[in-house]
Amino acid sequence: MGYMCALTPVEIITAAGFVPFRIKGDVNEPITKADSQLETIVCPLVRSAFDMTLKGNYDFLDGMVIPHACDSIARSYSTISCSLELPYSHFVHIPHTTKDLSKEFFEAELDTFRKSLGGFAGEEISDESLVRAIDLHNAIKAKVRELYQFRKSDPPLVSGTEVVKVLVAVMGIPAVEASQLLDDVIDEVKKRASAPARKSPRIMVIGAEVDDVAFVKLIEDSGADVVVDSMCVGTRDYFFDVDTAQKPLDSIADYYLRKLNCPRTYREWTGKTYEEDLEARFGHIGGFAKDFNVDGVILYLLKYCDPFGFEVPARMQYIQSLDTPVLYIEDEYSMSTIARLRTRVQAFLETLAK
Amino acid sequence: MEEQKWPEKYPVEGKRGRKYGTVAAMKVGPMVKAAIGSSVEAQQEDKDIAYTFIECNYDEIIRAMDIVPVWTENYAGICGAKRDAQRFLERAESLNLSRSLCTYALCGLGFDEWREELGEMPPDSPWGGQARPGVMLSSGQILCDPRNKWYQAAQQFQPDVPIYNVAGLFPMYERDVDSHEIEGYYAKYITEDLRGLVKFLEEHFHKKMDWDRLWETIKLADATTDLHVECRELRKAVPTPMDTGDAMNCMVPQAFMMGTQEAYDFYRDLRDELRYKVEHKLGVVEEEKYRLVWAGGLPSWFALSDFNYFWSKGATFPVESTYNEQVYSANELDLPKTDDPLEYMAWRWIRRWTYWYDLARKRPGSEPDVERTINYIEQYDIDGIVMHEAFSCRTWHVGLIWQLNQLRKIYRDVPSLILESDIVDISSYNEADTRARIDAFIDTLEAVKSR
Amino acid sequence: MTGRYFAGVDIGSTMTKVVIMDQALVASVIGPTGPEHRKLANRVMEEALAKAQLSFDEIDYVVATGYGRINVPFADKQITEISCHARGAIYMVPGARTVIDIGGQDCKGIQVKEGRVIDFVMNDKCAAGTGRFLEVTAEELGVDLEDMGRLSLEAENRVEISSTCTVFAAQEVVARLSEGVPLADIVAGLHWAIATRIYRMVRRLKIEKEVVLTGGGAKNAGLVNALEAKLGFPAVVPTEPLLTGAMGAALLGSDMVMKATESGTSLPRRERRLDEATLFT
Repeated sequence: MGYMCALTPVEIITAAGFVPFRIKGDVNEPITKADSQLETIVCPLVRSAFDMTLKGNYDFLDGMVIPHACDSIARSYSTISCSLELPYSHFVHIPHTTKDLSKEFFEAELDTFRKSLGGFAGEEISDESLVRAIDLHNAIKAKVRELYQFRKSDPPLVSGTEVVKVLVAVMGIPAVEASQLLDDVIDEVKKRASAPARKSPRIMVIGAEVDDVAFVKLIEDSGADVVVDSMCVGTRDYFFDVDTAQKPLDSIADYYLRKLNCPRTYREWTGKTYEEDLEARFGHIGGFAKDFNVDGVILYLLKYCDPFGFEVPARMQYIQSLDTPVLYIEDEYSMSTIARLRTRVQAFLETLAK
Repeated sequence: MEEQKWPEKYPVEGKRGRKYGTVAAMKVGPMVKAAIGSSVEAQQEDKDIAYTFIECNYDEIIRAMDIVPVWTENYAGICGAKRDAQRFLERAESLNLSRSLCTYALCGLGFDEWREELGEMPPDSPWGGQARPGVMLSSGQILCDPRNKWYQAAQQFQPDVPIYNVAGLFPMYERDVDSHEIEGYYAKYITEDLRGLVKFLEEHFHKKMDWDRLWETIKLADATTDLHVECRELRKAVPTPMDTGDAMNCMVPQAFMMGTQEAYDFYRDLRDELRYKVEHKLGVVEEEKYRLVWAGGLPSWFALSDFNYFWSKGATFPVESTYNEQVYSANELDLPKTDDPLEYMAWRWIRRWTYWYDLARKRPGSEPDVERTINYIEQYDIDGIVMHEAFSCRTWHVGLIWQLNQLRKIYRDVPSLILESDIVDISSYNEADTRARIDAFIDTLEAVKSR
Repeated sequence: MTGRYFAGVDIGSTMTKVVIMDQALVASVIGPTGPEHRKLANRVMEEALAKAQLSFDEIDYVVATGYGRINVPFADKQITEISCHARGAIYMVPGARTVIDIGGQDCKGIQVKEGRVIDFVMNDKCAAGTGRFLEVTAEELGVDLEDMGRLSLEAENRVEISSTCTVFAAQEVVARLSEGVPLADIVAGLHWAIATRIYRMVRRLKIEKEVVLTGGGAKNAGLVNALEAKLGFPAVVPTEPLLTGAMGAALLGSDMVMKATESGTSLPRRERRLDEATLFT
């Protein structure tokens, strides 16, 4: 069952007996077919993913589930579900605010999805199967967190490039296999001998979906280590568990609405000052920067990204308040920009050199 | 404000390609200017002011509580129409906001940042400027990320202004789920969120909602909408008495003045004028050769003169989809009975947005937007479709190509044209290129007609 | 440190600049880059060496920068043009805090403090705001590129060019010309448009005096005039604005050698020969 974006409740998909398969684009493939059906002002990643589906890369999918992530994704829903003529498609509404009444709505909406997907699967999705799915996905999250711990050392025992490769692979395989893959990777990394401190700049990448190795590799090839991130597929997807205290659907609603930290969700102002508001919204970045001993932050966004785009000044203000240098890049989803990226990244790393 | 003398009898001679102008449309400019002027005065007098977005389902609430709305999208549109948006866009860019974001928001944010830095309105602000609000009212809805994030971004330079973000979700069109089965919990969510909004406004502005007054305001708004619906129906006549060029102005009371007597009077006068014109067969152009539907996209506010160009070729637009999304009579919507005005508003909202779902379901392959276009083509005797793609707005300008493709698949091949530019950023607009495209389109229409 | 020489090679998209320095400039060469810059980087270097009357082995350290920096096989290190322009600008203008480089095909803004780069912005995607904008429009107008700056200063009523896209702007100027608008006014409008575009980008940094203008654009009096109007105060144009990058590169090389000498560490060097580059070097 194809899906886009970290906000899709994959637990429900797994519980229904389908394999959640996160579709992605391809930075190396110029977008051609998509242009005859989807406007070019859509997020380039969404366009590329759509292009891939039109070119037959995802013909094996039984269906597509799309959450209300952002305008690009929401607006493309009709186009995508219609042109692909898949047997199943569903749009999951997610409220924008985290109020209690929003959560209540979301629970009802998830129930609608559960019934719809159950109908397509030919079998109702039981609470027990949901609980099993939650546990399975939580286990994966825990393993990813474990893998990340190996990045805290100097130099890290596993590179940013390697981690992104693994996480992208995990995006498209059944949960049980993903769990196994992570176990194997962790076992291998554990055996690596630690090396003497290299003092390369330690970089954190912040972005939306950075699902291609190319960008992270470029940073590391330029002489730095990408040690942590706040991006999909990265900490955004894996650093919080779906709790098991509430009924499964309620827990899932709580996770995707409140725990998962994505700009598309509007977080209410709770503090007294603007700085407190920034801390509430972006504190997790500060936490990572500290835990992973980060020297510099690269804020990497794609053109036409509204949710992140509006937050850039606020994010930069927050990061600068940590006394951490930050580089802001706006890019297209394509390899053609690689030379320009290299210059900016290299120049930024040069400013970090002690 | 100067005394305006409206012609006592229509018709009024049109200008630049038009045979007869719309008297009512002429009132809009001064109305908006007056509204902006009074919001600036309201700021000086310390009155209750809120930043608002259009079509967020809170108009009646604001009016019933005597809160002065500052319609930030409208203000940006005015800067665009006056071709004075660039300096605000540039200011926003200097803050590291991407140029590909909604240019309404960039204009508004650039303006606000400048105003806050100066402590007063920027020099030569169009029509007096954008008044500083006491609160800002966002709405995530189903579309429009800017309406979810814009005001939050503005808090960086006006952190003392709190935000309420009110829900406006409605069921998406699905093949396997009938919206009627799930409307209930959507309505509940919106009702409660509106209740929260009222509470927020009461607390912030230290006043209580008069619920009877709210009901009256709702009834006035509904009656106003009914008049507006009548106006739209009257435009079915051949020749059409008013077209999209004027409708882009005449939508103002619907969008910005809902719940006021002024809006009611406006559409009543417009309705009377259109009745007269239909009776006397007075059309927009000398010879109406082609009837077009504006089937998607916001207009380029600085290039409304493109309509004059269409008129000069004998083409008119009897109907448009833009700004008509809420123009449905409450009587048609089969709303459940309730004593709670907020619940009423919630159901009305959902039913308006899902108006075309039932019909779409009956036609294989159809979708609500496509269904609406088909209906307009048939009811308004349409020869061709025009759409506009504004580069900074994903909300209204994605899915246009697909709509045309789908229309072709399930209905028939209708000549169509997609114009490309932006809502506010004039640097994206190329007049020569646009005119050339229109010329080519007219040729196609002519060829189809003479077959 | 007498008797030590450092070379900076700046391969820009339009022009290649090579300098040889000790404590001051010893020799410099400026030439068009052309499509074969990879193969021919050594030729420019040879020319510079000839001018300086030095042999390649006498050069202690070579730093390459610019768009083509990865194509200089005999360089000891590659450093981005941002760091190099900053270093060069500080050398030429000790009080430099903001550097604006206007090149043939890109432009950049660099914020400098205490000798270090703090922040930077670049536009290397779009011709508007670069020398290319003037090239294209000059051709449309039938004016020599070198005359454009001087002509803009003769304007009485500067024209407003609304297009930011180079191609659209070129169309716009042709239209204005056919309407009978004086040439100087149009050219002034073009310069204002570039300055607007550049200023818009640089504003994302904190602009502080002294503002130093470098690159080919800095030699255009009309553009300098327009930029100063946008800034609201005078900017500084060094005597050799084209050489900032190359000089900065050489100086950074010298900094690195000095630091290594002081701390007793050794610097990594390329196994280098001054040959024409092959596919495999």
